[in-house]
Amino acid sequence: MRWHFILSIVGILLFFLGLCMAFPLFFGLYYKDQSVIPLLKAMGITLAAGLSLIVCFRSVKVDYISHREGMAIVAIGWTAIGLFGAFPFYLGSEFGTFIDAFFESVSGFTTTGSSILTNIEGVSKGLLFWRSFIQWLGGMGIIVLSVAILPFLGVGGMQLYKAEVPSPVPDKLKPRIRDTAMILWKVYVLISLAEVLLLMIGGMDFYDALCHTFTTMPTGGFSTKNTSIAHYNSVYLDTVFIFFMILAGINFSLHYQFLRGKPLAFWRDSECRFFLGAVLVLTGIVSINIYGSVYETLGQALRFGSFQVVSIVTTTGYATADYELWPAMSQIILLLCMFLGASAGSTGGGMKCLRVMLYFKYCYKELFSLIHPHAVKHIKIGGKSVPEDVMRSVLGFMGLYIGLFAFSSVLIASMGVDFMTSIAAVAATIGNIGPGLGMVGPSDNFAHIPYLGKWVLIWCMLLGRLEIYTVIILLVPEFWRK
Amino acid sequence: MKIIIVGAGEVGFNIASHLAFENKDVVVIDHNRVAIRHVSDNIDVQVLNGSGSSPVVLKQAGIKEADILLAVTDSDETNLVACLVANIISPTTKKLARIRSADYDEYHDTFRDHTPHIDTLINPEIEVVKTIHRIMNVPGAVDVDDFAEGRVKFVGIHLDKSARLAGVRLSEISAKIGKKIPLIAAVIRDEELIIPRGNDRLLAGDLVYFISEKDNYLDSLAIFDKQVEPIGSVLIIGGGNIGFRLANLLEEKAVLTKIIEKDPDRCAQLAERLNKAVILHGDGSDQELLREENIQNMDVVITLTDDEETNILTSLLAKRMGAANTITKISKVSYLPLMSMIGLEQVVSPRLSAVNTILQHIRRGKVISAKSIKNEQAEIMEAVALETSDVVGKPIKKINIPKGALITGIIRNDNVIIPSGESVIEPNDRIIIFSTRQAIPKIEKILAVKLEYF
Repeated sequence: MRWHFILSIVGILLFFLGLCMAFPLFFGLYYKDQSVIPLLKAMGITLAAGLSLIVCFRSVKVDYISHREGMAIVAIGWTAIGLFGAFPFYLGSEFGTFIDAFFESVSGFTTTGSSILTNIEGVSKGLLFWRSFIQWLGGMGIIVLSVAILPFLGVGGMQLYKAEVPSPVPDKLKPRIRDTAMILWKVYVLISLAEVLLLMIGGMDFYDALCHTFTTMPTGGFSTKNTSIAHYNSVYLDTVFIFFMILAGINFSLHYQFLRGKPLAFWRDSECRFFLGAVLVLTGIVSINIYGSVYETLGQALRFGSFQVVSIVTTTGYATADYELWPAMSQIILLLCMFLGASAGSTGGGMKCLRVMLYFKYCYKELFSLIHPHAVKHIKIGGKSVPEDVMRSVLGFMGLYIGLFAFSSVLIASMGVDFMTSIAAVAATIGNIGPGLGMVGPSDNFAHIPYLGKWVLIWCMLLGRLEIYTVIILLVPEFWRK
Repeated sequence: MKIIIVGAGEVGFNIASHLAFENKDVVVIDHNRVAIRHVSDNIDVQVLNGSGSSPVVLKQAGIKEADILLAVTDSDETNLVACLVANIISPTTKKLARIRSADYDEYHDTFRDHTPHIDTLINPEIEVVKTIHRIMNVPGAVDVDDFAEGRVKFVGIHLDKSARLAGVRLSEISAKIGKKIPLIAAVIRDEELIIPRGNDRLLAGDLVYFISEKDNYLDSLAIFDKQVEPIGSVLIIGGGNIGFRLANLLEEKAVLTKIIEKDPDRCAQLAERLNKAVILHGDGSDQELLREENIQNMDVVITLTDDEETNILTSLLAKRMGAANTITKISKVSYLPLMSMIGLEQVVSPRLSAVNTILQHIRRGKVISAKSIKNEQAEIMEAVALETSDVVGKPIKKINIPKGALITGIIRNDNVIIPSGESVIEPNDRIIIFSTRQAIPKIEKILAVKLEYF
């Protein structure tokens, strides 16, 4: 482990983050609100911290990054980014204590969308923009962005990319990692532009359309309104949001193929079929469940049911209804959706459809081989056998995910939080969804979680965003051995 | 520029990493998952698991947009079929195959001129035999390469402790020796490439690369206290393909050749196909046998078995028993840095030879030959100065030559000119360029026709 080198790259990331603070500053200046001073200060601190790391640890030329260093850079880099991203909030004094600002910042970068704000509309426009913008940066991955635009990462970029985008079956769209990262970002920007346009057609002003796009595309879920999307109460906007949340929940390499003129790309991909199928079936069940008991007409049940299912399963976390008033069955289905998550290679969180699919296929294979002990059976996805090591890593992931979920829930509950809230808060943060159930439901917030509990949830959010391994590996003693 | 490489073995891996370093788009295909993983973990290229001769896999790899297909698996048949299939799907792609079997030797031209138009068949074994033959008679020479049909030589030699130039500054050499010195292009010291300036000293143990005209070749070697030794007797250990080809060549040159081979059947084959060489059945590491065969009187002992550890140890043993010089065949590139440390200076590697041969076909512009030097840190190439390229028609000092690159020779109508800053390159001159690998993409750019975009 060459710490000089790791810290100098973290310095570069921080410097880059400092530059990004210019965007909210622009909005702060435009609306002439009180966010200008805190943003300027935060920008100064971040740039200075980045520069001093770069200067102090300017290392000899490095021509490769080892696997281990890649993971360390990503895990440490994300923590540092979360920390410095919190400075605008902290200095702005609208977010309360530092831990609250840190919570909000990590919740932003990891595209979780859990908030500690009690009155969102009271916060200045510049800071609200920063709150949305960091979700957009974190969604496609701040490291993927640096790989795309910073040329010197070269070969090492690959190790960083793998640590930040740990898809079970990695796909490289182009031979060079830099081109791949570039394409992903281009697709991301393109779809975002389309959403801004469609939202503005629906009557949103530019500022709100931009902020909401920045939280839909990364499946983040921050809104600039107290009541989230329910504020607008518009069928058109609901439909636009549902459409773009689904797009964000699909593997981005399929979008690329689609844009390259392969319209059947979505249908050919078995994970995408599974994801869309799950959305349809779950929407159906929830809508029937809430039809009559909560909503009078089938149309309304479908509208609110589909929005909530899509919002949770893509791990966005917008709300148009308070689903805590829905029947228990719908609530449990939504809780399970938090675990399922979106597609691998999308901006969504959760366990990912691909892993769940592979897990079920593995279970079936086990049952099958009980019946035919001598059978040779491969687990296949899209007609291709899944290598043994990929399967092992998927099983390990599922085990760790559930284990960490259980462990963290116990920790939260030990601080005096009630049963439902503990479970839902951890499920909602480790899956990067946002709102949970109980005291952290769609109409509540996370402000009342105890101090230590917030640390646990911050840790859960990072675990979820970097898909467990990259973060948890830092706790393994073997990782630190020379 | 997009290049598809079939085969992720040592040759494929080395070429892929070489090309990825130059920011080319590389796709590597192999059916071996472990090999593919090794590539994707270490090099920034796209990988594909599957058979490289399958049309489906080749299409998936994007053969239609590819500029070059390199079929370099261990199997001649797979390589040929891959090129054949590629020719059907994408006739404009340049196809190169690695062919090892000597049986194909006389068909190389046929393959190129008729369908499937396999542009070149690379036979690393032939290349290795050529290399051995070139370095054999200069003890301490690591590389001897011919450019411009042999009129220019590019030589890499180790500077001995007793050499007159050890410890001398470059700018003081001519004063000390009293005559014109050859152009010293690079020095490798502690595995690091240095482009020496006038103030830099040469040290004992350095690997010095210099360029010399053929007529001055012997004088140049003498400056470094080396001379060409006439070779009278050669002992080859290992009678495989390379051993056989080498023995065949040496027979023509009337050099006394002995081959030690372990496998009796192979010995019988060799005895049948060779006329003058002495075929010995036995173990190359058997001291009794070596002593019996007068190893202390041998000019060169060449170890060519399939097992590199055996080669290394046998070479060391031969040295200890008094052989004047040894040449060792090594396939694992990772062993190369060790060799000069343990006293084996002359090393050949079929895989690196293959990489070198392939390189010259990949270079853009009209590159006639290209050769990478130790550790692939730098490359020397011979190219035609195209009329529309950036190098033509102005004094060399005005050409935008990237840092780390050097124009070391101009060949115009049979004359070799060692250029100065004022020399002007004319269209269709051939130029010899030395370049570190960082500078290669830029060199390619200035050599290429201006309006060429890939």
